[in-house]
Amino acid sequence: MIAGNSPKRSGIATFRTKLSATMMLVVAAITAFGLYLAQRNVARNAERALRQNFQTELSALDKLLELRHAAVTERCQKLAANPRIHAALEDNALDLLYPSAKDELRDLMKAEEASGDQVASTLHAKFYRFLDNRGAVLPPPNQSDVGVLSAATEAELTFNKLPEVQQIGYIANDDSSGDTIQEVTTVPIFSTETGEVISALVLGFRPLELVPRTAATGMQSGVWANGRLRLPSLEKSAQESLAKEVTNAFMESKRLGNNFRVTVNGAPHLLFYKQLNPDSLFPPAYEICVYPLAGYITQLHRLRWKIGSAGGLLLLGGFVASHFIALRFSKPVEQLALDSERNVVQRKRAEAALITTSEKLKRSARYSADASHQLKSPLTVLRAGLEALLTRDGFNAETYEELSTLLHQTHRLNGVIEDLLLLSRMDAGHLTIDFEPVNLSLLVEEWLDDLSALPDSPDVEIQKDIPADLYVTGAKRYTSLIVQNVLENARKYNRKGGLILVSARTRPGEVLLIIGNNGRTINAEAQAHLFERFRRDSSGAPVAGHGLGLNLARELARLHGGDLKLVRSENDWTEFELRLRATQPLIGHLS
Amino acid sequence: MNLRGRFCFSALVALLPVSILAQAAVEGRVELPKSHSAPVMAKRYEIVTHGGVLSTEPPVAVVYLEGSFPRSSSLPTKQIDQKNLAFVPSLLPVQVGTKVEFPNLDDTYHNIFSYSPAKRFDLGRYRPEERPIPSEIFDKPGLVTLRCDIHEHMRGLILVVETPHFVVSDTNGRFRLGGLPSGRYLLKAWVDSKTTREQPVELKNGGTTHVDFP
Repeated sequence: MIAGNSPKRSGIATFRTKLSATMMLVVAAITAFGLYLAQRNVARNAERALRQNFQTELSALDKLLELRHAAVTERCQKLAANPRIHAALEDNALDLLYPSAKDELRDLMKAEEASGDQVASTLHAKFYRFLDNRGAVLPPPNQSDVGVLSAATEAELTFNKLPEVQQIGYIANDDSSGDTIQEVTTVPIFSTETGEVISALVLGFRPLELVPRTAATGMQSGVWANGRLRLPSLEKSAQESLAKEVTNAFMESKRLGNNFRVTVNGAPHLLFYKQLNPDSLFPPAYEICVYPLAGYITQLHRLRWKIGSAGGLLLLGGFVASHFIALRFSKPVEQLALDSERNVVQRKRAEAALITTSEKLKRSARYSADASHQLKSPLTVLRAGLEALLTRDGFNAETYEELSTLLHQTHRLNGVIEDLLLLSRMDAGHLTIDFEPVNLSLLVEEWLDDLSALPDSPDVEIQKDIPADLYVTGAKRYTSLIVQNVLENARKYNRKGGLILVSARTRPGEVLLIIGNNGRTINAEAQAHLFERFRRDSSGAPVAGHGLGLNLARELARLHGGDLKLVRSENDWTEFELRLRATQPLIGHLS
Repeated sequence: MNLRGRFCFSALVALLPVSILAQAAVEGRVELPKSHSAPVMAKRYEIVTHGGVLSTEPPVAVVYLEGSFPRSSSLPTKQIDQKNLAFVPSLLPVQVGTKVEFPNLDDTYHNIFSYSPAKRFDLGRYRPEERPIPSEIFDKPGLVTLRCDIHEHMRGLILVVETPHFVVSDTNGRFRLGGLPSGRYLLKAWVDSKTTREQPVELKNGGTTHVDFP
């Protein structure tokens, strides 16, 4: 026990360590999860805020664009209605087209470049061109009047067929002005007479810029078209590298959602985009908004620190708490382990004792059986001798009396040996009972008849109250033995002129046989040992028997799933109750 | 017939131009496109465009004899009025070199101009009382589209031809062109800005040739 203590203790220590480790793991996992959730939340909030900002800026830009487009459309309609423009187009006087339009569009070309909200109201065109009825650019007589464009840029303005609705495009312009992208609006000119599209006016503008309403966001906006980027607030080199990044993103169709991350001047930025010219015949162009993520990252760092330190504290607290909790939890477990150890020892002892007892019992049963067998042979010889002597003549009457008594004693001894044999078989567990329905009523009837015919029967009155055909389950032989023993007991311990009352009644699943008799009361001390073997009434009254009857009857009753007990013994009345399991007779068994 | 009488006859013959002596005429009908609107009683044509083709409404044709004829030294001055915001007449055939005046009979400004290859001109804005009446000499054959810079819907046509022999058909397409010299010619019928039909004709003195333009 003492030697086994240290592995036990180490086992408990391991358990404690494991418990602590598990709890720490749980705390760590919760902290990590909290950190992850908080970070995700911050990221989402930041993105949502930026997107909202983008949407707001964009809607402002949309409004400006709408205003500009409306103004341009109006101008073009006015222009298309101009008789000189019409005359030039319809009378094939294309050489007069630009001179005719020059006066009309003079204000557009001359207008001062405005900024902000004025942009839309004061149109300032960078250039304009007319398209002929096949969609090709009509060459202007003098580029300086209509805005200088390279041949390549001019080629970008052409269509295969004149569009019937206004088209918005963004084209790259390689002039020296520094504006790499121009916003282009192509407005069809309808003949006022035929309603057909006879030409189109192409107006080039500097792209509208978003004017950040909230300077705090640090937003930068521009236009991306055809691999080019115009983001005036960035340096040329940064613009070029960003253009490459954006173009790659668009090419690889990484356009999940409406934003992605980019690097501007080595710093991470979130880029939002929206197509500026959906449904246009021009290549797609996008409004680009770049937001620096520095603030967001700082916030995230701060939050990470906060949650990290909180998590650390929590982890520390969790560690301490888990240590104590583990200690506390491990105490009963330790106790339990010790108890279990003790229990094991006790159980082992009990098992050993049980084996010993069982061995003893077996030995004793064997001994009883052997003894009984050994006794039976000389007894038979003795009885045969006595019977032979009794048949002889020549003995006086006294001797015959003696011999007769001796013979009677051999019969008694034989009964004792029979009972002992039965008991030893029961003790050894060798007695098997073949259960069958037994008519208890009939059995009691027979035994009562026999009882009154016995030679040493005292003068007793027998009364019975037994319903007919009460069936119990059991072996007929042993059930009969039980009834015999109980009835004999009632007869033997009766007084002269006494009464034996046998009644029976049923209860669900069982039959009760009550056997009452007059006679001396059994005192409480005797009651306690009434069913022990070789226990007889200590009063010393001359009663035949050997003290095994009640014991045998009870043992057999219990073996049959019933019981035998003393109900009462008082005022010259002793009553036993025999309980047996009820059953139904087999078909055709009813007597 | 006495000598005096013979002289007189000879003098008469000598005095009369040869053409008068040998006058020919041509008449017939030009198949005109169907009118797009109900016929109007007033002999006033409006210029309309269908698919970029200018014609009159109701349709009429200008029939003229093509050939080289001696140019008259003094051609009569023609007029196209601007009345009720329209050119009257809206279609005017003239011989090359004819001066056309554009009197403004409305109470508003007009600004007649043309970008046509046959004649580019711009009379500028002028009022009804503008004197002398703004005019232009059409010295190149072809179709001239007249427009007003102020009133975009106004359209007028001047068909400038080389020949002095031309006539505007009625709205049924019937025409008669008289006082023509004999000989082989090409008779042309202008129907709209994109359609001019032609038929060769042989004119005989004193005779009337019938030509239809199917």
